[in-house]
Amino acid sequence: MSLPLTPVSVTVDDGHLAQVETVAQALRDSGMQVERVLGSLGVITGRAPAGARPSLLAVEGVTSVDEQLRFSLPPPDAPVQ
Amino acid sequence: MIDPPARRGPGPRPPVRTTGRQVVVFADRDDVRVDWSAAGVTDVADSRDFPAERVPAQTLREAGATVFARLGIAVVAAGPDQVGALRAAAPPVLSVSPELVHRVLPEDLTGYVRGYRDGVADLAGRVLGAGGGDGAAAPPLFQDTAAATWGVQAVRATTSPWTGSGIRVAVLDTGLDLAHPDFAGRAVTAESFVPGEAAQDGHGHGTHCVGTACGPQSPPTGPRYGVASGAEVFVGKVLGDEGSGDDGGILAGIDWAVANGCAVISMSLGADVAEAHPPYSAAGRRALQQGSLIVAAAGNNADRENGELGFVGAPANSVEILAVGALDPALTVAWFSARSLSAPGGEVDVAAPGVDVLSTWPMPDRYHTISGTSMATPHVAGVAALWAEATGRRGYELWATLTQAAQRLTEPSVDVGSGLVLAPQEGAGGG
Repeated sequence: MSLPLTPVSVTVDDGHLAQVETVAQALRDSGMQVERVLGSLGVITGRAPAGARPSLLAVEGVTSVDEQLRFSLPPPDAPVQ
Repeated sequence: MIDPPARRGPGPRPPVRTTGRQVVVFADRDDVRVDWSAAGVTDVADSRDFPAERVPAQTLREAGATVFARLGIAVVAAGPDQVGALRAAAPPVLSVSPELVHRVLPEDLTGYVRGYRDGVADLAGRVLGAGGGDGAAAPPLFQDTAAATWGVQAVRATTSPWTGSGIRVAVLDTGLDLAHPDFAGRAVTAESFVPGEAAQDGHGHGTHCVGTACGPQSPPTGPRYGVASGAEVFVGKVLGDEGSGDDGGILAGIDWAVANGCAVISMSLGADVAEAHPPYSAAGRRALQQGSLIVAAAGNNADRENGELGFVGAPANSVEILAVGALDPALTVAWFSARSLSAPGGEVDVAAPGVDVLSTWPMPDRYHTISGTSMATPHVAGVAALWAEATGRRGYELWATLTQAAQRLTEPSVDVGSGLVLAPQEGAGGG
């Protein structure tokens, strides 16, 4: 369990929007550390071992598993923001 | 700012021809069984009485009137003297107009040649101008005045009777200087989605964006710089004081804004990836379905002076998220503003002021002038809030209204989409 964890965003399909919590539990059972269950959007965010993507994708109700993007602004004194 | 009408080519335009019949538009298309005997019209054909509602041409020519039930429109054989009686007919009539004769547009070779000449002249100007430096930039159409920044003038917020009153606008960014005097007394709900940081802005970018979207109508000092001065502000901190954040916090901010009924969600953030990111596509679509429109910065990865056109990054390159490009005060595309990707969703949808934009900055600076598609985005968010108030429209309808009402520009659509967003003016709320 000392594998490095990667931030991931899991998108729930339209048919499971009402069962987001159930999907989240299944993701936990598949090794994901769930941080946020976003009910309005049907997206679950958290961390997962690098090799866990196939097992997370196999969870019923999951349509996409993506590594989280990181967004960075220029420093406050930059002329173009 | 509107150029005088261009010449239409040599000679007068041909006169408009009419058929002698009248086109009647009903106020309500649900029940248009009419009795026009008072107007002297009998023999009324109704599209519902024909197979597949296809009215034969002969009927159209010979019937006293033909009703197209699905459209709530009728074509009536009636002269100008019968127009009054037609208007008085029940059910209520919206308009009666003469039927026009339409024809295939004439081929105008002179227009083609003129366009060719202008294209060559433009190309010569660009090629020679880039090398010699004598390609004069277009003169600015707008400038900051003592009363208002060029940006709020350009989107016509200054002449709009709407303020965004009753509309919730979320700005997902680095937070807000919650003690800023320009927001004293305003309804502000602030939440941080950055672990270990409060919603107070420790960067400046968020305070600048909130100012442009929702700044006051009459700031205590200086010109007006904000668009939706009456909107209720939801500040979601999704980028830390050092300026960065990831999906987890940003998606949490979107979820919070949607759950709180924000009609507009402004996101002046982006990552330079050329593929749509599935979580943002799902979030954008589900937000629209729940009445929340997400607008996002197209990105600043162009360097047009050096031939780099850039591309629309995530999240703006999701189909379901409105991507905003930046304009300068001459309404030409900003040198840094990203161009559309060829992939679906990667389009720049609209443009807004994004060069030399003055807005709020954390105290003690109070104000700061910067550039970026980040600055264009909250102009669009503010204008969207005004349309939301004026029309009651939300989601996809609000999106369509913004693009429909945008001022078309001569800049390429790959750079500015439908053009410069414009605020609703007096009378825009009706219909």
